[in-house]
This record gives sequence, C-alpha cells and structure tokens, in this order.
Amino acid sequence: MSTLDTLQDILVRDYGLPRERLSADARLDTLGMDSLSLLELMFKIEDGFHVKIPGDPPTGLRTVQDVVAYIDGLIADRSVQAAAGVAQSGAKM
Amino acid sequence: MIPRRVAVTGLGVVSPLGNSIEALTRSLAEGRSGVRRLAPSLCDRLRSPIGAPADFDGAAIFEPARVRQLDRVTQLALAAAGQAVLDARLDWSTERLERCGTFVGSGMGGAETTDAGYRTIYAEASDRVNPYTVLAAMTTAPASWISIEYGLLGASLTYSTACSSSSVAIGEAARRIQSDDLDVMIAGGAEAPLAFGVLRAWEAMRTLAAEDALDPSASCRPFSLNRSGLVLGEGAAFVVLEEWQHAVNRGASIHAELSGYGLTSDASHITRPSVQGQARAMQAALASAGVEPGRIGYINAHGSATQQNDATETSAIKQVFGERAYSIPVSSTKSTHGHLLGAAGALEFVIAVICLERRMVPPTMHLDIPDPVCDLDYVAGAARHGIELEAVMSNSFAFGGTNAVLIAESASREPGRRA
Repeated sequence: MSTLDTLQDILVRDYGLPRERLSADARLDTLGMDSLSLLELMFKIEDGFHVKIPGDPPTGLRTVQDVVAYIDGLIADRSVQAAAGVAQSGAKM
Repeated sequence: MIPRRVAVTGLGVVSPLGNSIEALTRSLAEGRSGVRRLAPSLCDRLRSPIGAPADFDGAAIFEPARVRQLDRVTQLALAAAGQAVLDARLDWSTERLERCGTFVGSGMGGAETTDAGYRTIYAEASDRVNPYTVLAAMTTAPASWISIEYGLLGASLTYSTACSSSSVAIGEAARRIQSDDLDVMIAGGAEAPLAFGVLRAWEAMRTLAAEDALDPSASCRPFSLNRSGLVLGEGAAFVVLEEWQHAVNRGASIHAELSGYGLTSDASHITRPSVQGQARAMQAALASAGVEPGRIGYINAHGSATQQNDATETSAIKQVFGERAYSIPVSSTKSTHGHLLGAAGALEFVIAVICLERRMVPPTMHLDIPDPVCDLDYVAGAARHGIELEAVMSNSFAFGGTNAVLIAESASREPGRRA
C-alpha cells in the first residue's frame, strides 16, 4: 500500500472526506483542512505510519502530495535512524 | 423615556424532551420524562448513574471538518438557534446586521472537550492534546459560532451565572433591545454536562438525585417530601427577540411579549438560596413588566428538587404573591427534562411561552408525597389544558446567588397597553 493510499484512508476515516476528492494535487484548504486540523493530522500520521514527528510540525504543506512527500521523508529518516541503531532511544522522549 | 417593547418571534430547542417545539410540547403535555440511566460506561463509577440526555448526534448535522472543531455544547447551541431563526422567518439580507447580536448562557462551556483533554494528559499520560481544545472548550464558543453563522455584527456575549445563565442572557438581550442599542437578538443557552468528570464532580457535592430503583425516569421529584436532588440534563434553547415594531413591520408572527426581567444577587451563601434574594428578583421582574402580581397565571419554577431550593422558592413565591400564591399553578418541568444548568432558564422560558400560546400548564411529575413545607399548587402528575393565560413567569436561581426572573405576556392581548 502506497503512502498516498494510507493517507487517503486516514482522511476518509477520520475527516469524513470522500476518497474521489483526495487526488495527489488536491489542495488542503479546499478540503477544509485548516492549520489546526493539519496539526491534528500529525498525530494520526504518527500512528498510521509509525513515525515520530520531530519538534514543530512542518509549515508550507499545501496539497495532498506535499503531505505524502513529508511522510515519505519521515519514513526515510526512520530507516536511516534504524540503520544507525538509534531509532527508539532517539525518537522517544 | 418609554422602553421599547420586545417581541419573541422565534423558538428553538434541542432537549431531553425532544428536538423541536412540537416534540417538546407533546412531551410536556404527556408528562413524559427524559431522565434515564446513562451509558454503561458511565454507570460503574457513579453512585447515581442517571441523567437527561438529548437524542442528538452532531455528526449527522454538521460537516466532518466542522464537527471536529465544535464541542457538543456548541453543536447543541447551533442546532437550537437554527430552529429559532427558521421559526422567526428572518431574512438577514434585509437586516442591519450591526443592530443584531447574540447573548448565550452556559455554565460549563465545552465540558466534554475539557474532560477529554484531561483524560489525554493525565489518564493516558500523553501530550497529544487535540489542537482544537481551547477553541472548543472556551465558554464563549457557542455565542461566537452563532454570530459567525448568521453574520451578526452587534454584541456577541456569553453569560455564565451557573444555573441562571441563560435567563440572564435572555433578559440582558431584551434590555439591549429596550434601550435601543440593538434590534434583533438570538438569545438562549446551551449545556452539555454529561461527561464523566462533570457528573462525578456534581456527585461529589451530594446534590444529585438518587436513582429510583423501580423507575429511573422518575428520579427527579421537585417539591416532593422524598426529593433527593437534581438530575443533570443537556440541551439548548434559543429565542429570537425583536423590537416590537420591527417585528410588526416585517409581518412576523409574534409568540409573546417579553415584558419583565428581574435580576438580583443573594450575596449571602455560595449554595444556600435566599428567600429574600428570590423574592426580590420576582418583584423586580413584575415591576419592570408593569404587571400586577394578580395577572401572573403560571409560574415555571426553578424547582431543582434540592431540599434547599424547593422550600426556599415556595416561601419566596408566597412572599411575593401573598394569599394568591396558593391559586397560581406552579410547576417544575425539571422533573422531566432534568437540570440543564446554564441552558435551564432558556428552556424553561421557552416552555413558559409555549404555555401562553397553547393555553396549557405542564405538570410537576413524580410528586407523589407532598412536603408540608411545599404547599402550593404544583400541578402534580398531569398537564392542564384550556387555561387562559395573560402573563407567565419563569424563575431561575443559581449557585452563587444570581437570581433571574423573566415574564412573558400573551401577544394576542390589546397592543400598546403598557405604553
């Protein structure tokens, strides 16, 4: 399952958004996702993708694809950290 | 200067007795109780797991993106205010919106959101607090969302005076119209206190009614010798108030005239009510309405079913009305809809207006064993119909001692009498 598929699942399940509106280029503001709902989404991304969002959440996410790219970055970081053997001790505060 | 008159042109409710004026009226006429056992998840840790919930699912009404930002209290408020606006048949595009406002009463605001936030922080030891927590929990959220919904540019205020909050909101809204500050007001109250933390806190005060073992719906017994306390209820009630001529000019259907508002403080004890404080509030309401006590045909009592209130309120009514107190029907509809705290006054004022219009007096239910100290006509057990009413009174008293009394008069009487 791709990152986009999983993100779509979250947005359908928790935000009541119709899947057909959740194309990669869909703009978050037109989906009714304001800055606070994006903060809320970060919790769901952490759970859904088993990643840890470091520090402050990102700014500048405008489309569904932006979120997908951000998540893919977190997943890549997680892999790097795991390889370095610091995954859990580093991620859990 | 002669104060401008205030017309009630819209009514709306979401309540344990139904989510429309028609449903509420039917429940009142039947004496049906909305008190029941709460969800099993709440029962384990409560000594008296009863309440009066509203049959209301915000997720079925509001868009998902919106419902997540709104505590249940705001969802209830928007739904009830929406009914009132629809009932008033207002066309906002023709209104001067800077002359329109909303006053809302709420005792506990977004209590479910607060409860959930503390659960996250303390019970789950998590720092993942919902980013909407502050905006959903703030007491002023219902008023803010109503003003946003209708684009009301005048005053948007929240009154929090515990159990009299929404009577104060309605009374103060009427005053703004009388004083020519505003022309149209959406006024009322909302409360959603059926969260575990809130229920447990009230229970800790030993003010909640014991559950009736045979019939949980009969647990709230105002004025009865075996009354054991109040039952918490949830819901919202709103009225649209308008300057009288404004309503007449647009051909509005007028439910009643809101003519009297009395506001006093006990200034004596944080919980124990005062006969003098309550009596002065009723007298102030009568004086502001210019209504002789003899013209009040029905009193919707505060009647919380606590030992203290019911005896005190009975004495206060006798002090104000003298011998005539014994012939005025006085009922506590809290026996069936429970105590909606900050929304109670608005719901009971709406009920008083329904009484005026439908010539009906709702009962005090579950009053099976008369208390010798409470010896007025409480309309025990069954509604009365065909009662001609000129003027009705709705009492709201509160922890903290803020007493608010509203008087409504029949809209069908001779116009201009008070002028």
